[in-house]
Amino acid sequence: MKSNSKKQIEGYKDHIKEIEVFRKYGVERTLEKGQVLDGINALHPKSIDLKVSRVIKETLTTSTLRLVSKNGYLPPFQAGQYINLFMEINGIRTSRPYSISSAPNQTGYYDVTVRRVKDGFVSPYLIDQIQVGNSLSSTSPTGNFYYNPLFHGKDLVFLAGGSGITPFMSMIREVTDRGLDRQIHLIYGSRKEDDIVFHEELADRSSYADQIKLSHVISEPSPEYSGAKGFITKESIQELAGDIAQKTFYICGPPEMSTFVSKALQDLAVPGRRTRKEIFGPPVNITQQPGWPETVKSKDQFEIILNGGKAIKAAAGEPLMNSLERSGVVIPATCRSGECSLCRTKVLKGKVYQPQGVKLRKSDQKYNYIHPCMAYPIEDLELLV
Amino acid sequence: MTDYDAIVIGAGNGGLTASLTMAKAGLKTLLLERHNIPGGCATSFIRGRFEFEVALHQLSGIGTVDFPGPLIKTFSDLDVLDDIEFVEMKNLYRVVYPGKMDLVLKADRAESIKTLQEHFPNDADQIARFYDFVWEYCNQWIHVVLMKDAEASAQKYPVFFKYALKSMQEVLNEYFTDPLLLSAIGMYYAYLGLPPRLSPFGEFALVLWGYTEFKPWHIKGGSQALSNALLNKFLEHGGTVRFNCSAIKINVQDETVTGVITEDGDEVSTKRIISNAGTYNTYIDLIDSEQVPSQKYKELAGKSVGVSGFTIFIGFDEEPDKLGIREATNFLTMDADANKAYDYSKTLLPAKNMLFTCYDVDDPQFSPVGCCQGALICLAYGEPWLKVPPARYFERKYEFARHMLTILYKVFPKCENHIEEIEVATPLTHMRYLGHPGGAIYGFDHLGKDTDFFIEKASPIKGLFHAGAWMGSGGFQPTLMSGASAGRALIKSLKN
Ligand SMILES: Cc1cc2nc3c(=O)[nH]c(=O)nc-3n(C[C@H](O)[C@H](O)[C@H](O)COP(=O)(O)OP(=O)(O)OC[C@H]3O[C@@H](n4cnc5c(N)ncnc54)[C@H](O)[C@@H]3O)c2cc1C
Ligand SMILES: Cc1cc2nc3c(=O)[nH]c(=O)nc-3n(C[C@H](O)[C@H](O)[C@H](O)COP(=O)(O)OP(=O)(O)OC[C@H]3O[C@@H](n4cnc5c(N)ncnc54)[C@H](O)[C@@H]3O)c2cc1C
Ligand code: FES
Repeated sequence: MKSNSKKQIEGYKDHIKEIEVFRKYGVERTLEKGQVLDGINALHPKSIDLKVSRVIKETLTTSTLRLVSKNGYLPPFQAGQYINLFMEINGIRTSRPYSISSAPNQTGYYDVTVRRVKDGFVSPYLIDQIQVGNSLSSTSPTGNFYYNPLFHGKDLVFLAGGSGITPFMSMIREVTDRGLDRQIHLIYGSRKEDDIVFHEELADRSSYADQIKLSHVISEPSPEYSGAKGFITKESIQELAGDIAQKTFYICGPPEMSTFVSKALQDLAVPGRRTRKEIFGPPVNITQQPGWPETVKSKDQFEIILNGGKAIKAAAGEPLMNSLERSGVVIPATCRSGECSLCRTKVLKGKVYQPQGVKLRKSDQKYNYIHPCMAYPIEDLELLV
Repeated sequence: MTDYDAIVIGAGNGGLTASLTMAKAGLKTLLLERHNIPGGCATSFIRGRFEFEVALHQLSGIGTVDFPGPLIKTFSDLDVLDDIEFVEMKNLYRVVYPGKMDLVLKADRAESIKTLQEHFPNDADQIARFYDFVWEYCNQWIHVVLMKDAEASAQKYPVFFKYALKSMQEVLNEYFTDPLLLSAIGMYYAYLGLPPRLSPFGEFALVLWGYTEFKPWHIKGGSQALSNALLNKFLEHGGTVRFNCSAIKINVQDETVTGVITEDGDEVSTKRIISNAGTYNTYIDLIDSEQVPSQKYKELAGKSVGVSGFTIFIGFDEEPDKLGIREATNFLTMDADANKAYDYSKTLLPAKNMLFTCYDVDDPQFSPVGCCQGALICLAYGEPWLKVPPARYFERKYEFARHMLTILYKVFPKCENHIEEIEVATPLTHMRYLGHPGGAIYGFDHLGKDTDFFIEKASPIKGLFHAGAWMGSGGFQPTLMSGASAGRALIKSLKN
């Protein structure tokens, strides 16, 4: 609008005056430089510089790293959430997510409890190489596996497999430390008795806190063992958990355990809305997943061309992200389990296999985006990274 | 030689249409986005089986085949019309005040009048008169503002010149006194982010008229599908995008743009930048203040950071019909006085007015088979949330959400037992994902003094342009159009 015609709008002059007044008494904006970022960082800093302040040997195969912040501040988290830890091993920059096992009612430190994975790349490094005083960096705490008071109710059954105890430990510590009004029944599957992580502390907390009930299930028990044996099955859940009508079930453990236990809950007719899941990493053998193309073998190598230039080799049986990292290409990552979408990458040519549970948006699928942390090459590929 | 002809900071609606406009015109364009996905507000995220729509409740400006809206032209110019599928939303909205009022307005002028008259027979004449008046205002607005009638004057267009800057409240009061009627007819104040006493009537009239005439629409696949379509077209035209890559500085020399520094420390040179990061961030955080004429900071001092939202995203394991949800757009109110409800948005007191949108009502494929999703949202400022100590944040968030859910269950009792997923976003969540102060979703507050009549669009920095909510109005239609127009302005500046 032309300015002489604008001036004819009723109230125009008053508004001009108002603007002058607001400007005169307004905020000195230059003083606000950096405030938005400070606000964001109080809850969700993009990365945290950490130092190992203690290493606690939990079992033969499992250690807890106590992590403190180099700048003295750690953002709050919800019991059950994880951080993605970044490290460089033999010149390869990579990361792995670990659930925080310490309670959220203090943020002086985050504990992560790591179990050694056979032939694993990172877990042995964290257990064998990392020492008190070493530095690591991480994302801020994230993840959706936590107690949601808006619809989970107050009667919870935790189904843990092996290292899958870690998020539950944080939840149990919080509920007992703070005396929260929540009933928790932990059904914890381990291979042997001495594989049970936090064995004593769990026994201790469940002995004094009415909120916590504890059941162990051992798959390869010693002859002396007299408790529940085998895996966590439909029958053992039914027997241990009793009336399940109003209970909310949480499952956490390796992918194989999670698949098995989810099926058991389905057989027990527990609706999806009362089942929460956290899966610890990609399946051990991807070629056995439903829909994997028969003609492709785990060791098959494919050529991956990046941005029309550099080419690398990648094995079919390994997540693309790992192959990329080994070639020095680091894609942003948080969950490394196909859920968070941080790693989303466009495929220009070729096909990948993505197991069920990879959370791709509809329109990302349409435009050929994949989550490389849970995508496996089954042809030569061209990526935009 | 510079690295790029133009750099766009931010891939929100405005940034996307700006980038595409330039790439299509053959400009070597770089698009920087701090998040990992295009869209800004116009995005989605996944929990369990659900892909949750973040922002788009009702898309304006689409129109019908016979009467296409302005946004159709924008999309068609950008050559993305074939890549987007629109879904018509049957009704404007339902408004429920439990025990006091419950009515549904259709996206049709005559039907709306009829419904309101049925519910408020005593005001039947006034209702009709009010609608005539709003339509007349918009008609005059078209001539004056849109078609830029060179002879526009208060004599020729009396309604426009008299009412454009009056408050919405003032005008409503001229017609109605019944608080329920005021509430029912004025509900779209929520889309302006300010209550009737502060919203300019002109803006309100355009929203009511616009949604009624051009109908509310949604998009197959949600707003993310639109963002992805725009980005894809940008890539097809040779554009370069970098995600997870904030611009942390705009280099300026002699009040002229010279380039951008990214969070990875890369320095990229260019003579033209379109910022979709908002004028607040652009001048306060991205440019050295010595390079900015002090007048700009005075201007920013006179503005207030606008409202954000508090949203509960809910996935239900049941179809809308079985949950008693029959309308997509439901305003739930616990207080007919919108002005008071608005005051609550500056506090952590339980919200009084909220909007519950269930996308599956008009698009049964929006969620997985046998499910539906709903977004329960209220206006909320960032300020009180910024004052919550981090250690208390989660607790406060659930407490606030719980109150809103109580109201939802009052209106839709069956919902309570069919919740499969819930995610809660506060103003701080929006702040985190958008990088805007207070998590503002419509840019600055949009009072009369902040309307287009008073906005100086040109930047004092040579080579710098703006797109998005902070320079003009918030909402999908305005921001999408603002980007395209910033892109055109930049192209034009190259020719001079
Ligand atoms: C949300 C989340 C939370 C988690 N929390 C915890 C936790 O609290 N504690 C914990 O201990 N773990 C946790 N994990 C698992 C953890 O992130 C790692 O996956 C785990 O430590 C194994 O990492 P790694 O590097 O040792 O093994 P990787 O090197 O990643 O190997 C994993 C498996 O793949 C196989 N493999 C390795 N290389 C190849 C190859 N080239 N081809 C084929 N197969 C190969 C290995 O044999 C092994 O079985 C969590 C995972 C997620 C997703
Ligand atoms: C919950 C909610 C509900 C809404 N409902 C509706 C509705 O029903 N109808 C409607 O029309 N509108 C609605 N809106 C408003 C509408 O979505 C927004 O006004 C509009 O999308 C804003 O677009 P924009 O172009 O200003 O960019 P924004 O969406 O604000 O995006 C800005 C982008 O810039 C990026 N960025 C910021 N700083 C930097 C930097 N330094 N470097 C790189 N990138 C940067 C951000 O990450 C972001 O992607 C809603 C919004 C929300 C959040
Ligand atoms: S890192 Fe989360 S989806 Fe790949």
